[in-house]
Parts: sequence; C-alpha cells; structure tokens
Amino acid sequence: MENKTIGLDKGWDYMQKGITKLKRILEGLPEPPFTSEEYMMLYTTIYNMCTQKPPHDYSQQLYDKYREAFEEYITSTVLPSLREKHDEFMLRELVKRWANHKVMVRWLSRFFHYLDRYFIARRSLPTLNEVGLTCFRDLVYQEVHAKVKDAVITLIDKEREGEQIDRALLKNVLDIFVEIGMGQMDRYEDDFEADMLQDTGAYYSRKASSWIEEDSCPDYMLKSEECLKKERDRVSHYLHSSSETKLSEKVQNELLVAYANRLLEKEHSGCRPLLRNDKEQKPGRMIGTAKVDNGLYVWNKDSTEGGLALSTSKEDMIMLWYRRWRIFLGCTGFIVKYLEAWILLLTYSSSILLLRVLPWFNRQKMLLVTRSILLLSSLYSKIIAGC
Amino acid sequence: MKKEDIVKLISAEGMEFVIDKEAAMVSQTIRNMLTSPGGFAEAEHGEVTFPEISAVILEKICQYFYWSLQYSRGKETEFHIEPELTLELMMAANYLHT
Repeated sequence: MENKTIGLDKGWDYMQKGITKLKRILEGLPEPPFTSEEYMMLYTTIYNMCTQKPPHDYSQQLYDKYREAFEEYITSTVLPSLREKHDEFMLRELVKRWANHKVMVRWLSRFFHYLDRYFIARRSLPTLNEVGLTCFRDLVYQEVHAKVKDAVITLIDKEREGEQIDRALLKNVLDIFVEIGMGQMDRYEDDFEADMLQDTGAYYSRKASSWIEEDSCPDYMLKSEECLKKERDRVSHYLHSSSETKLSEKVQNELLVAYANRLLEKEHSGCRPLLRNDKEQKPGRMIGTAKVDNGLYVWNKDSTEGGLALSTSKEDMIMLWYRRWRIFLGCTGFIVKYLEAWILLLTYSSSILLLRVLPWFNRQKMLLVTRSILLLSSLYSKIIAGC
Repeated sequence: MKKEDIVKLISAEGMEFVIDKEAAMVSQTIRNMLTSPGGFAEAEHGEVTFPEISAVILEKICQYFYWSLQYSRGKETEFHIEPELTLELMMAANYLHT
C-alpha cells in the first residue's frame, strides 16, 4: 500500500488532467477514450487522498473542488454556448449540453466515488450526483428556463396551426424540466406547465370566438372533439402524462363550457334539421361535462348506444337529445324546476328499459310516450305553480 | 469462453488473474469501471490494473469473489483467511468496495 502521502496540489493536478480529458471527449474533440488504467489511477488518487492521515485527509477539499470543476466548466463553456443561440437552436443546444452534463456527472462521480462512501455519508452531505445536478440547475437552468419555456410554447402553437415540428426535441426538452426537479414535479409544473396551460386557454379562446360565429352547432362540436383529441395526442407524444387531465379540462373549459349557453341557443337552430331528417350524418354531439348556472345537466358523453342530454340553460326550455337516434325528443316551453328534470330522467330511463325488455317498443312508441309524459308533467307543474 | 465474459485483474507485480466478469462485479469499484459508458479502448477491454495490490492479496480476493457468489447461491461454506493477510486484505477490500 501507498506509503508516501500525496499533496493536495499534486493530487489535484493529476485529477485536473483527467477532468480536462473528459471535457475534451464531451466536446467531441479527438481524444482517445479513458483506459481502464487511467480510470483506476484517477480513482486511486482520490482514494489515497482521502485515506491519508489528517492533516493530509483532503476529503473536504476534494468535495469542494468537485463542485468547482462543474461550475468552472459550466461558466466557461456551457453558458456562453447557450447564450448565443435562440429559439429552436437554443433548445437543441440545451438538450445536447444536458446530455453531456449527465455523462460528466456520471464519470466524475465514479472517479470521486470514494467520497460518496464515507465522507459524504458521515456528514450527510448531498451526494456527488446531487451536487452535479444542482450545479447545472443553479447555473444553467435558472438562467434559461424562461426562454426555453417561451420557445417550447411557440413551437406548440406552431403545431396547432398545422406546421410540422420536431416532437422528439420537445420531448427531450420537457424531460429536462422533469429531471431537474430531482424527484419533484415542481419545476415542470411551475416553470412550464402553468404558462403552457394559460397559453392553451388563450389560444382556444381565440379560436372558439371565431368558430362560434361561423359554425353550426354540430360543426363546432366536431371541431372541439378534434381539438381535444389532438391535445391528448400531444400529451402522449411529448408532454408529461401528468398534464393530460389539466390540459383536457382547460380545452373543454374554453371551447365548451364558456360557450355552453350559446351552443344551446344554437341547438335550436341546429336541431330543426335534425328533427326532420333522421338520417342526419352528423351525430348529435354530447358535451362531456358542463356546469352552467340555472340548470341540471346530465350528459352521457361516451355512451354509444344512447345518451341523455338534458339541458336547461334558458329558463323555459328543456331539450332532450337522444344520441343514437339522432333525434330531438321534445322541447317544452315552461319554467323548469329540478323536479321536472328528474321526472324526465325517470321517463327516459324507464323507456330505455322498456326498449330492452319489449322488442316491439320501438322508436315511434318511445317518442310518443316521452312526449306525452313531458306534456303531462308540464301541465302538472303549471297546475302546481298556479295554485 | 467468450471474450466478453472474462476480466483480467493485474496485480502490482504484473501477475494476471483471469476471472469471470460476474465474479469481478462483486466489487463495486470494478463494477463501476466496467459499466461506465463511453468506455474503454477495445484492446484494453476487460483489463484492470491494481498497482497497489500485491499478487497474494489479489489472489485471495479472487477466491473471495467466487466464494461470495457461491454463498449467495446457497452453498454456505467458510472462507478461511490467513491472519497475516488480514490487514492488507481489508484495505484492499475497502479500496475495491467489496
């Protein structure tokens, strides 16, 4: 075993050579890769410097120098290269630098591994891995994350307009946000997701305000469904999966809930053709969820066989959509209270039940029954209200 | 045996010990080295030099690797260590993180 002690300067000199070689490899310069001998020598140097008797136990200094090595590399090389680029080029550079950084952390923490085992464990300091990532986070991420977020959102909006973008690049960039949180999603959520959701909301709000003027109700609904589908697709390709619910909710909010009243007004214009022409191609779309004041909404979004949509947005109308038959079952002109809505629900469900049970109970009969009950209940409520 | 399955451990005196990679991986240090990405020049693949460990110790260590594998497979035998080797063996074990 080693008998003479290694001085800090001499030992660090040797390490510095190794670090410089690593940097050259990362920069892509022609440099032969590390041999196992070099690796062992570097590891051994650290080992020796840490196992020497004090005052030659240089563990603390080595720990500090480890961190300094990263800081020096970042400030001299990484940051300048990022500052001079913009938009998509900056994103690419960032992804490259992050990958490089991870490699550097891995190699250096292997060399300095002996520190991890004893010095760090004894004093409960952040591990070498954490130190490396923290350096990147504090020096690089802090500076660029706002610009990165803007660039990403710009690209997402471009894709919404139909342009092709590099999805793999976006996925890599967003992975950085996730990884830099070091186990927490807070960086992703605070530094990216919040603004992305806001921008999404603004985007769809703009779109909705123009669509609602131009399109008929079924068209608008179709477009909304498509937007929802595209956004989900976006999540699966590059956004983090945790964004899915928030994004869907936002989109639905902007496209559907905000305009629910107007849509239902439009229903009236959209429903006549549907009433007359049962072979209408476009199905009566069901809104997923809608919370609008003054009404009981019962939506059955994804049922393919039948769904009840009961909407009472205007004070004196009930409209029933029966999706499968694409007909508009009834429209009454009286003030609706919850009681009536429940009666209608019951009516509907019992007729569905009858449909199942009695094969001869077909469409016409159902229409007849429902309409008559509607009429009866309206009369009834008028009587009640009248008293 | 395929080339990829063996490693060569070289002691301070230059004596070479050829063992299975699986055995060598018992040492964390060796494992880290062998699993480092962006690895090593092809020619030197699988060779590790220990300029500070003597041949006798290294031999004992190799025996330990194999014993350790056997022990973990259920065969519980004893591993005998000569007292005079103990100190150096322990230091080497610390170095190799075994």
